[in-house]
Amino acid sequence: MEQFLSNNSIYIVLIIVLIVWFGIFTYMLNLDKRLKNIEKNMSVGDKNE
Amino acid sequence: MIWKIITFLLLTFVSIAGITFPIVENPTAWYQFPIIPGLEEKAKIIFFHVPTAWITVVAFLMSTVYSVKYLRKKNLEDDIKSYAAAQLGIIFCLLATVTGAVWAKFNWGTYWNWDPRQTSIFALLLIYGAWFALRSSIESEEKRASLSAVYSIIAFVTVPFFVFIMPRIMTGLHPGSANDTNAGPVINFKMDPHMRLVFFLSLAGFSMLYYWMWQLGYKSMIIKDKLNQKYY
Amino acid sequence: MKAFALFKKDFKSEMRTRYAVNALAMFIVVTISVIFFSIGQERINESLTAGLFWVVIFFSAMSGLSRAFVSEEERGTNLTLQLIAGPSTVFTGKLLFNLILVFAMNIVIVVLYSLIFDAFVIKNMVLFVTSFILGNVGLAVSSTIIAAIISKAGAKGTLYPVLSFPILLPLILTSVQLTIFSIDGTKFEEAIVELMIVLSYDVIMIAVSYMLFDFIWKD
Repeated sequence: MEQFLSNNSIYIVLIIVLIVWFGIFTYMLNLDKRLKNIEKNMSVGDKNE
Repeated sequence: MIWKIITFLLLTFVSIAGITFPIVENPTAWYQFPIIPGLEEKAKIIFFHVPTAWITVVAFLMSTVYSVKYLRKKNLEDDIKSYAAAQLGIIFCLLATVTGAVWAKFNWGTYWNWDPRQTSIFALLLIYGAWFALRSSIESEEKRASLSAVYSIIAFVTVPFFVFIMPRIMTGLHPGSANDTNAGPVINFKMDPHMRLVFFLSLAGFSMLYYWMWQLGYKSMIIKDKLNQKYY
Repeated sequence: MKAFALFKKDFKSEMRTRYAVNALAMFIVVTISVIFFSIGQERINESLTAGLFWVVIFFSAMSGLSRAFVSEEERGTNLTLQLIAGPSTVFTGKLLFNLILVFAMNIVIVVLYSLIFDAFVIKNMVLFVTSFILGNVGLAVSSTIIAAIISKAGAKGTLYPVLSFPILLPLILTSVQLTIFSIDGTKFEEAIVELMIVLSYDVIMIAVSYMLFDFIWKD
């Protein structure tokens, strides 16, 4: 496995890029969910007033 | 929600395709790219570098559109949306400049040589850097919004000149300049169909990613403003 | 003609104190002296001379042209201006003043430049005069609208060149090219592309400035 990877190093680059992209995507999903929650809480608060 | 999943899948595919699809002499299968004389492996940057430049123009255009909307209706939310779009525009402009400079090192020998395309992207950075400087020097919210809206419209008038006209009429090294014969992939559909597919998928994926980032940006700024108003 | 009356008011108050004119004249002399001193005995080629020519023009404009609006803001006469005239009239008056200032300043710079630098010999005078007029109009219009923007902002002095340079960049790049052409003696027909660029820049800037000035001017 290491032999194959060190000969075709392009796949190491690919794995790193995919890891970075998955990390960014997960962070943005997380941010989106939190913002949606805050927006819901704020609008509920307005209704209660 | 579904379009966010689509963005994820698109950009994953583009990353895999752009990095690993082989470049061969006579491409037969759908996952093979042709050799472009003079560029060989470096041609793959087109899937990543050109979309960042494209998103820069789209972001600055959106910033100007929301500036115009603000000037008509004086709704501060439009100003916030314009600000979020300009922030992303500067980020993608920086990304385009840096990726371009790294490519230039491998293709032409130096990171920066004042090629017309490089000069014009640098001018874009200056314009919108000045926009942020203007915004930070004004205290009152309405004044800040209207002055930066006016400057954004004046600035956007020069953007088509910088991005589309100037690099094409001046002689230079970047593909697409006035003395370019066949030195590289030019964006007028002379691209090989396999590459074209991945390229357009990349453009679509980046555009959707930008739209999502912009949405998150302006929503969080509006919420912050509302929270600040409630607790004085 | 209200715009002309506004221009006469600015002109008369300028002639009384001669504040801007003196500062501009000294700035031009100092800049050209610095360049002349740094070059020493070297003979510089045409492209470098043309580039330095527009550097001097740009920085002189930056030091002198913001006064049109900043002086109104400092003296507190903004509200009076808003009362007596509509936005387009005010803008026309200020634009006339800045135009006269730019032309006077640049003629002085051209004269001084021809005297001091040997490489600055114009072979195609028609081309030079056309590009000179078009370039100055563009410079005046852009500087006036940016001066209007920063007069309402905070750090006026430093912000003015920062905001103006990117907007003026297409004009300066093309004008440097045109100056090199007129020094080299290229025919008028060959420079037509660059002249079209400067002309369209002028037209677009005038149109955009008039449309947008209303939004800046009203509080």
